[in-house]
Amino acid sequence: MSEARIEAYARALAEIASAEGNLDTVEKEMYAVARAVESNEQLRATLTDESIPAARRQAVVEALVGSASNTTAQLVGLIIGSGRGRDLPAIIDKVVKRASNAQNKEVAEVRSAVALTADQQSRLAAALERATGKSVNLKVVVDPSVLGGLIATVGDEVIDGSVRTRLDQVKSRL
Amino acid sequence: MRLLHLLAAEDPSQTHHWLLPETAEIIYGGIAALIIFAALYKFALPAAKKALAARTERIQKELDNASGTRAAAEAEAANIRKAVGDIASERARLLAEADQQAATLLSEGRARITAEVADLEAKADADIAASRSRSSDELRAQIAQIASVAAQNAVSATLNDGTKQELIEGFISSVGGAR
Repeated sequence: MSEARIEAYARALAEIASAEGNLDTVEKEMYAVARAVESNEQLRATLTDESIPAARRQAVVEALVGSASNTTAQLVGLIIGSGRGRDLPAIIDKVVKRASNAQNKEVAEVRSAVALTADQQSRLAAALERATGKSVNLKVVVDPSVLGGLIATVGDEVIDGSVRTRLDQVKSRL
Repeated sequence: MRLLHLLAAEDPSQTHHWLLPETAEIIYGGIAALIIFAALYKFALPAAKKALAARTERIQKELDNASGTRAAAEAEAANIRKAVGDIASERARLLAEADQQAATLLSEGRARITAEVADLEAKADADIAASRSRSSDELRAQIAQIASVAAQNAVSATLNDGTKQELIEGFISSVGGAR
């Protein structure tokens, strides 16, 4: 799908969520859905397989969003039902970015091998704001491949303190 | 004539000499002999001379022909002898040429084989060197892979929850203290 179409979908979803008055909640829930789809190849294949009936894919989405808000479930279902499942992560990333920009914030994606506590997230957000000079919307993604440490991406800036990267450096040096 | 008759008339009273003929007989015989000689001289001698000359000429001609034939035979013999000599020298020349060609071929063959052997040796050396290098690279890559896997396993084994939390706290501290 073209960038313009992705942008159009993102704008529409953000407007709907904003109109429903729960943009902040929706973008958090959708972000979790996007990362789940991104990390699970079987789930991604199921949602993008046109040969699977739309109703069945919709059921998968409902099972995926689980206890998420009704708006989130409907918006994700809308994307899947439109046959845009392949672009679901990209569309949701745009929604998150739009929501952050609406609050004058920059999306800060942090990848960690383990979940961060609320306190750690708060301190990390503050640290990143100090480091980048920007107000950040922190998004934590649990990624076991990081092994240890964190990888923070704020806009175009990447702060890599992961064990995985250290190991890769050692491997390339070897 | 009468005289002749008188001379030729045989006198029965006279006896015959045991050796000499009668006179008339001598006379007649002499005359007849003269006539015969004259006739022979007149007619037979030129013919005989002519026949003799012709025969002499024929014999001379035959002698000349024989001489010419002999000269031709000698020339032919000389040619044959020369040809035999030429054949011998040609044979010798061909043998010498063949020997030289064989020597040249042998020399060139040796040189070519030597060069090919040198090329093969160089190629084999290069292949061995490349193989050695490749094996060395593969071994190095395997060692690196094993080492990286070992390092990952070692790190994973030491990465307990406490260590992970320490790494997260260290990251927050280092990022927060960056400015």
